[in-house]
Amino acid sequence: MERIRFSFARKMPLAYISHLDTMRLFLRALRRSGLPLAYSQGYNPHPRLTLALPLPLGVTASGELGEIIFAETVGPGKFVKSLSPQLPESLELTGASVVSYELPSLAAKVCAARYRIFAINGFDRESRQALLQQALDSLMAKEEIILERINKKKKRTCINIRPFIYEAAFLSEENKPLELNMLLKAGSSGGVSPFLVVEQLGTDTGSDLFKVENWHFHREKLYGEKKGKLQALSEGM
Amino acid sequence: MPVDNTILKKILARVQKPARYLGNEWNACMKDHDRTSLSMAFAFPDLYEVGMSNQGLKILYESVNSRPEMLMERVFAPAADMEDLMREKGLPLFTLESHEPLARFDVIGFSLQYELSYTNVLNMLDLAGIELYSDKRSDIDPLIIGGGSCSFNPEPLASFFDLFVLGEAEEFLPELLAEIVALKNEKTERKELLARLSSLEGVYVPSLYRPIYRDNLLIDMEKLDSRARDVIKKKFVSDLDHAPYPTAPVVPYIEAVHDRAVIELFRGCARGCRFCQAGYIFRPVRRRSSENIVETVEKLIANTGYDEISLSSLSSTDYPGLDALISTMDNSLSADRVRCSLPSLRLDSYSVKLADQVHHGRRSSLTFAPEAATERLRRVIKKNISEEEIFTALGDAVKAGWHGFKLYFMIGLPTEENEDVEAILNLCRRIRQYFKKETSKSLNISVSVSTFVPKAHTPFQWEPQLDLQKVIERQQLLRRGFRNMPGFDYSWHEAEASFLEAVFARGDRSLAPLLERAWQLGCRFDGWSEHFSFNRWQKAFQDIGIDPGHYAYRRFNYEDCLPWDHLDCGAGKDILIREHRDALSGGLPEGAVNGTHTF
Repeated sequence: MERIRFSFARKMPLAYISHLDTMRLFLRALRRSGLPLAYSQGYNPHPRLTLALPLPLGVTASGELGEIIFAETVGPGKFVKSLSPQLPESLELTGASVVSYELPSLAAKVCAARYRIFAINGFDRESRQALLQQALDSLMAKEEIILERINKKKKRTCINIRPFIYEAAFLSEENKPLELNMLLKAGSSGGVSPFLVVEQLGTDTGSDLFKVENWHFHREKLYGEKKGKLQALSEGM
Repeated sequence: MPVDNTILKKILARVQKPARYLGNEWNACMKDHDRTSLSMAFAFPDLYEVGMSNQGLKILYESVNSRPEMLMERVFAPAADMEDLMREKGLPLFTLESHEPLARFDVIGFSLQYELSYTNVLNMLDLAGIELYSDKRSDIDPLIIGGGSCSFNPEPLASFFDLFVLGEAEEFLPELLAEIVALKNEKTERKELLARLSSLEGVYVPSLYRPIYRDNLLIDMEKLDSRARDVIKKKFVSDLDHAPYPTAPVVPYIEAVHDRAVIELFRGCARGCRFCQAGYIFRPVRRRSSENIVETVEKLIANTGYDEISLSSLSSTDYPGLDALISTMDNSLSADRVRCSLPSLRLDSYSVKLADQVHHGRRSSLTFAPEAATERLRRVIKKNISEEEIFTALGDAVKAGWHGFKLYFMIGLPTEENEDVEAILNLCRRIRQYFKKETSKSLNISVSVSTFVPKAHTPFQWEPQLDLQKVIERQQLLRRGFRNMPGFDYSWHEAEASFLEAVFARGDRSLAPLLERAWQLGCRFDGWSEHFSFNRWQKAFQDIGIDPGHYAYRRFNYEDCLPWDHLDCGAGKDILIREHRDALSGGLPEGAVNGTHTF
């Protein structure tokens, strides 16, 4: 048995598939690769593949993490070499590493994610900077941002998402698209979707600029926690 | 030039399941348009998930793309949200592979699998910016061709299509396309080109035939060009082992309705159920050899990564030696953790044994189709199983550990009376009582009841459909009955949709304006209950002045001219008349009740 963690990037146009589609794609690629998959016990055995954090539909990513258990020793080199040719161009393995069984699961580890959110086009930088700054300032100055959610029991609950927004800034560089950069709480202990935060900027300012369709969302990095501090995760950890 | 990518991106960000429109899937075939002499778009008039479950698409994709000089790309009906945005932004319908607009292709081939997809055909032509009526199209427009089981009565669509291919096209289509290239190279103008193609066996060019009506009834089809054939015979493959078959089919990113690898065990069916069009139009029975099956399955699994293989056909347990075949494949399939599935089970002990063999301890549910609940009515439709066999098979299944069953029935069958419908309730009740004794587990039985639609080229083609009001009454009878029977999950097909299906299954060319009107009124995806609107259709009937009952309820005489009489599926009229007479005189000839595996 061998536990391998890997990092991957998802580019356009594959951003248009869901988390489950991405899982299915990885599984079929693994099966085609001929690598010795390990299966779970029980009534309905399935390969032991997990992805650290579901990637929403429409979002590209560069620092995603996944984990797979093999029945025999494979090694990171052979893993990448066998799996890569079975993946479509827009899904790219960027690293792999054998990790110990002692480590907690990836899903349990992830607690934040950094998003880079780019204006698609048609936004005049000069005139928008002030608006963006104002929207971000007003967002970050709030003590609470209450949103209604429907929970798993289909009941309405209210949730304050303000504590989930760790950082939110905008970057404006010559010859580059306007960018929002956000560090948001994520993972099994709760989090907030970047779509919601961008929409929230819009409700404060009433501007069309913050319609989700005008932005391209990219997840750059996943974070864990060590000694109370956020720490970028990689496949070796 | 592909469609504008910036616009497409913006649209994709706003629609449900954008991957329906992406293409670029695993094993998709990307060819250079400049390096092929002919381009064909395979158009499936339903959603991507449905079309990508169609084995015909995969077979023809393989058959054409294995030729270096031609290319085939795919296009499906866009869902309503996509259609709205495409119209708003002026984006024409495009293929998945190259994103080229449909209008730029040499040939567009529609797969015609069910009548309720006809409005989608018109909508796709319109979204492609192509004239709906064939006589309005010019030399630079694509040839619009059709195939699939509905082309055995294509008359309601005849005015919109340039030609239909009758029967199985995997060997013939590349030949037809090569012929089109040759004629185009000679700069043959469209009318002449079609006339020349009409001399090929299996090709039906509807514009070369003119229907003649008397008192609103079709009395003859007049041939307008001497090169066209008097009777168009279907094409069929003689040897499945040597016909093109995809061993590396496209693997969708999103879940298709049938999300698995498929091996076709045999084509055709020896059972001869009288309501079943597939049983008649896919004759004769042709088997794939077990060596070919084993080899093909191996390649399929290696090339796709699927974890399930469907052993497909119209009646898979009729494959001789299927148990031995499954045993042969079992070792390598289990090692790869590949599941087998049998899509169509007969209600007999042998089938239950086979199901047990493929399921390896997984006990989901078993599906059976008794179709009718009385032995008399089963004899009429030639579904020759006895009540004893039903109970033995179910008993075997319960003993083997199954406790979920799906049962399919039909109502509105010829000679059916209310008693036959009540017998469905009665049979289900007895099944439950029987199993109370056999097992302590609670049974989970779902019962699905559809409405009989008389289809062309079957012994029931002369029969009218049961009156819509009566269908609804019989459905209510069942609904009331099942309401008092806990443990049954009863579902039924919308009666109005089956009525419309009958109108088009038995219709002729006078339905073309009706179809166009219905499409104009917004009819799309009529096979989907959430989209189907009978009100809109009724408005279309009124606007055009057509009585749909004239088509659905007409009882044809043997001497009458049927709209599909000039099309020959292989089973001659004499056979159909004999089967029809046998049906009405109470069923089967002596001694044929216990069906034998005749191959």
